[in-house]
Amino acid sequence: MPSETNPVDQQVNAPPRHTERQRPRKFASWHEHHWWSAGASLRRLMSRPLGTLLTVAVMGLALALPLAFYLLLGNVQKLGDALGQNQTVSAFLRTGQIGPAAELIATKLRDRSDVAAVAVKTPQQGLDELAKMQGFGGALHALDDNPLPFVLDVLPKPGLAANEVEQLVADLRAVQGVDLVQDSGTWRQRLDALLDVGKRAALVLAALLTLAALLVVGNTIRMDISSRSEEIDVLMLVGASRAFVRRPYLYAGIWYGLLSGLLAVLLAVVVELALAEPVSRLGAAYEGRLQIGGLPPWLLVAVPFAAAVLGWLGARLVSAWQLRKAA
Amino acid sequence: MIRFEQVSKRYEGGHEALSQLTFHVAPGEMAFVTGHSGAGKSTLLKLLGLIERPSHGLIALDGQSLAKIGRAGIPKLRRRIGMVFQDHRLLMDRTVYANVELPLVIGGIAPAERARRARAALEKVGLLAYERQLPASLSAGERQRVGIARAIVAKPALLIADEPTGNLDPQLAVEIMELFAEFQQFGTTVLIASHDLPLIKRMKKRVVVLDHGRLVADIAAQEVL
Ligand SMILES: Nc1ncnc2c1ncn2[C@@H]1O[C@H](COP(=O)(O)OP(=O)(O)O)[C@@H](O)[C@H]1O
Ligand SMILES: [Mg+2]
Repeated sequence: MPSETNPVDQQVNAPPRHTERQRPRKFASWHEHHWWSAGASLRRLMSRPLGTLLTVAVMGLALALPLAFYLLLGNVQKLGDALGQNQTVSAFLRTGQIGPAAELIATKLRDRSDVAAVAVKTPQQGLDELAKMQGFGGALHALDDNPLPFVLDVLPKPGLAANEVEQLVADLRAVQGVDLVQDSGTWRQRLDALLDVGKRAALVLAALLTLAALLVVGNTIRMDISSRSEEIDVLMLVGASRAFVRRPYLYAGIWYGLLSGLLAVLLAVVVELALAEPVSRLGAAYEGRLQIGGLPPWLLVAVPFAAAVLGWLGARLVSAWQLRKAA
Repeated sequence: MIRFEQVSKRYEGGHEALSQLTFHVAPGEMAFVTGHSGAGKSTLLKLLGLIERPSHGLIALDGQSLAKIGRAGIPKLRRRIGMVFQDHRLLMDRTVYANVELPLVIGGIAPAERARRARAALEKVGLLAYERQLPASLSAGERQRVGIARAIVAKPALLIADEPTGNLDPQLAVEIMELFAEFQQFGTTVLIASHDLPLIKRMKKRVVVLDHGRLVADIAAQEVL
């Protein structure tokens, strides 16, 4: 047994003082416990690396998928825009229309705000073009008469939406003297419609996957709390508040979220890099008109941050539920 | 210090664990609560720590009625009471030092002050040399002393213990009880539940005897033979 002459010993048993001089320290100690909890929960995560890794991997994948979709859709959109940009609409005039009439129609069309340029192709030019195509030369010379009409190649203003192009095509069809309008741009409408579906699907998917990530972190924290029910009992018995008991678990949620957010960003960047090579070839094929976008930097920062909030939320919901009876 | 007035406790679906219990404990007094297994000793201590609530009657601590303490006030109440358990209830994955320090962390004491007080408490129970060890490496008696150090480290006015020597051999049990008696000498009120009559007699302190939840005898210290 220890000696009773030690003055430090007597301190322990000095008459109890309930007049606490701890008030000014209250904030400092609160602050300190936050740091302590953050550190302790991180150490706890690191002490069982496999479990932590699995949780972070599942959460990270769930968060990476929407990012990959975002990347894919954004680029398909840009590709569509680029392809649509030099899409000319060809208006075939009735055979028998003569040059001046063709020029007149072209001039009228050039006045339209949705038209960038109109090129008039004479029947002779058409024939020459055909002749240049391999194998046609001989056959064409056999014709004594040029059967080709005047053709107006109409280039819509760049940046027109698919439905605006569609309107232009409809207007062209109604022009007097126009026989046939060949619009190879209907694919673009379909693409835009498809992209709309894709965007909506990606949004729903992102919501579902975010929910999945929330459930994963919630379940991990739930198991963590139930495996530590004895410790929690002890903490409560020696006077810990519910907030005190919860704090390390909330930080664990934050850590899980942050780590999985970083993993998701990492995976998305890997996807981006994997796509970079074929995409740049595609871009080259469009003579630089195709600007392929990556993930914006703000998103790379926002995702880990948002994931941390998600982890905190999951931990908060679960811990509130699990500790509701603890007292 | 402690007032029980006509306190009854009926567990849900159970019979009455305590009935119409009235007794007082003065500040600085040390008392034993004894009786057969099932007499209601643990229940009495649980009511003091608000682990259970009474079905009837009034319990007051330092003049404050426990009935007025809501759920949110429980942690604060428990910080005023040092509790010692039969099975020590230490956190086995933390060092002896961390276990003893715990109430001070919860109480928001500054680190330097914490270290000083935790070491003083460990020294008091004679285990300062073990501060870096895990509880698993200690003997049953040593663990119980760590539990006691944890109970007194925040200088509670009241120390309650439920069968603190239940797992110990007689010699160790005496040492533990003498440790409690020492704390009483420094002004702490001590209430110990135990069914070890020979040990209780030896301590020459007040004895409250329960039987089937009723108080059947209240023997003053000087009357203990
Ligand atoms: N949580 C509980 N639920 C129902 N009955 C209980 C509970 N705890 C104790 N009891 C009953 O209350 C009575 C008193 O128990 P207890 O206070 O533990 O006695 P002691 O500590 O003196 O052995 C016993 O009959 C016991 O079965
Ligand atoms: Mg008992």
